[in-house]
Amino acid sequence: MALRLYEEPKLDNTVLIACWPGIGNIGIMAVDILRKAVGAEELGEIEPWDFFYPQKVLVRDGELEDLQFPSNKFYFKKTEEKDLMFFIGEEQPTDGTRTYAEGTKAYKMANLVLDMALKFGCRKVYTSGAAVAPIHHTTRSRVWVVPNSEDLMDEVKSYQNTVLMSDIEGRGGQGKITGLNGLLLGVAKRRGLEAVCVMGEIPIYIHNFPITYPKGSKSVLEVLSTALGIEVPMDEINALVQQSERDIESVYERLPSEIKEQLDKLKYVAYTRPSEPGPITEEDKKKILQEIDRLFKKEPGGD
Amino acid sequence: MSEEQSFELFVTPELENSSLVVAWDQDAGRVGPKVADYLNEDLESEEFAEIKPESFFSLSGVSVEDDIAQFPESKFYWCRGKNLVVFKSAIPRCDWYEFLNLVLDIAEKYCKVKEIYTVGGMVSPGAHTTPRMLLSVANSAEVKQMLKHYDLISDMNYESPNGQRPTLSSFLLWAARRRNIDGVSLWVPVPFYLLTSEDPLACKKVTEFFDKRFDLNIDFAGIDDEISRQHMEISRLRSQVPELDSYMSKLESNLGLTVDESEKLVKELEEWLRGGH
Repeated sequence: MALRLYEEPKLDNTVLIACWPGIGNIGIMAVDILRKAVGAEELGEIEPWDFFYPQKVLVRDGELEDLQFPSNKFYFKKTEEKDLMFFIGEEQPTDGTRTYAEGTKAYKMANLVLDMALKFGCRKVYTSGAAVAPIHHTTRSRVWVVPNSEDLMDEVKSYQNTVLMSDIEGRGGQGKITGLNGLLLGVAKRRGLEAVCVMGEIPIYIHNFPITYPKGSKSVLEVLSTALGIEVPMDEINALVQQSERDIESVYERLPSEIKEQLDKLKYVAYTRPSEPGPITEEDKKKILQEIDRLFKKEPGGD
Repeated sequence: MSEEQSFELFVTPELENSSLVVAWDQDAGRVGPKVADYLNEDLESEEFAEIKPESFFSLSGVSVEDDIAQFPESKFYWCRGKNLVVFKSAIPRCDWYEFLNLVLDIAEKYCKVKEIYTVGGMVSPGAHTTPRMLLSVANSAEVKQMLKHYDLISDMNYESPNGQRPTLSSFLLWAARRRNIDGVSLWVPVPFYLLTSEDPLACKKVTEFFDKRFDLNIDFAGIDDEISRQHMEISRLRSQVPELDSYMSKLESNLGLTVDESEKLVKELEEWLRGGH
């Protein structure tokens, strides 16, 4: 298992933004747009074969030309205030049966990413993913933020359009972030690095579909842009949001009216504290969530 | 995990510059495992090592196939006097690169392997009566050149479609190249309606190659009997079910079948062969 460097830039006061695919590809879409927006250059990679089964084989004239694996690449960008390092994993390493990484391989990969980060003077880590929430697709996604240290609470509370686990009713500040986007937070803590996971909301009735959810990505991008002090052009993500809204709406319109009526009530559900008095009662809200739960047999949570 | 913990060595084989034949249990027309069995039986091979399953297979229970409980096995055999090693294994569920490296470690350390051949069946739209060809993919130009005098189709171009992962044999070939071990994947077409059954004609084609390549003097009488028996069974089905006969005739004339026709042929032939008519 090895790290391969393409070059060795001198980086200082570095912030790592790391991401792997997850629900709706919310985090990875946001991080990739951010990476492109700042014009980050390739820095290195984690050799993939210990972690992944190959994706593609190329045979030319009877000879095995190449075997392609999921990429695990690092990028960097020097800026005036702080230098940026990105890590984007094309897949989460699994045992072949699960979607999200866990166990020894996940732990090894998380440590390799942090080895690289520390080698280049990293001080802080951001990861990103999705938060499955009882929201409607026409509403703006908020961003669940989870820091790995009490010291970061003031910072994360200062971000706009965010919620903490303790803001979510019934959770008591508890929760779980599945896969490497979550695990990296823990491994960073173990190695003395500050880290924050930012998760864009995705409606509970969409999260099982194999589609991206750019609206959640946009909210993540806004938070990361603030946290890093970088102005990111929103044209690309806005176009993706518009296209995705049209696609979702065309499917939504074809849903049976009784299901649509139930889902429409999510426009008025406030599942976080503090909440303004809404147009529906607590009893209504409970019934809607029970109905949604019955329809989709899923609990809200993060990835 | 250390090498010592990952496998058991029962006997140290007496081999020098040997060749390794690799067959995976889950294969179209059971070509790989059948070829491994033919070689092991005919050459009276001896089992000498086994990779332990716990690191590479899900052991949360057992799978049942054809009413029989199965358990994953990864065993090495050697053919005394022929400088040939056979590795027959289930396909690991995880840690593929570690598994393949372990295979190569054993092959290099205990067998002094100089070349590796993987065996596999590939889906064909053709009929079972069509003469089989043998396709090869080499992991270097030198190996390809070395095999040019054999009856192989060795100019294949292929790119796996998006979403379809490469075979473990391709992965092994690639891993072997990283160690400068010559490797060849052998692929034989298997008619689509024999994928879940057996295809002795395809097996014979591969075994004939090994017979020539390693000068094995294989007795093909047993394989020929299997081929005759299967062809006879299929002929009886064709005579009893004219519709299926017409489908196979189409295939023999290089004509395609509709999806419904193909599905019917697969279903009825599988039932017929399973029923042991």
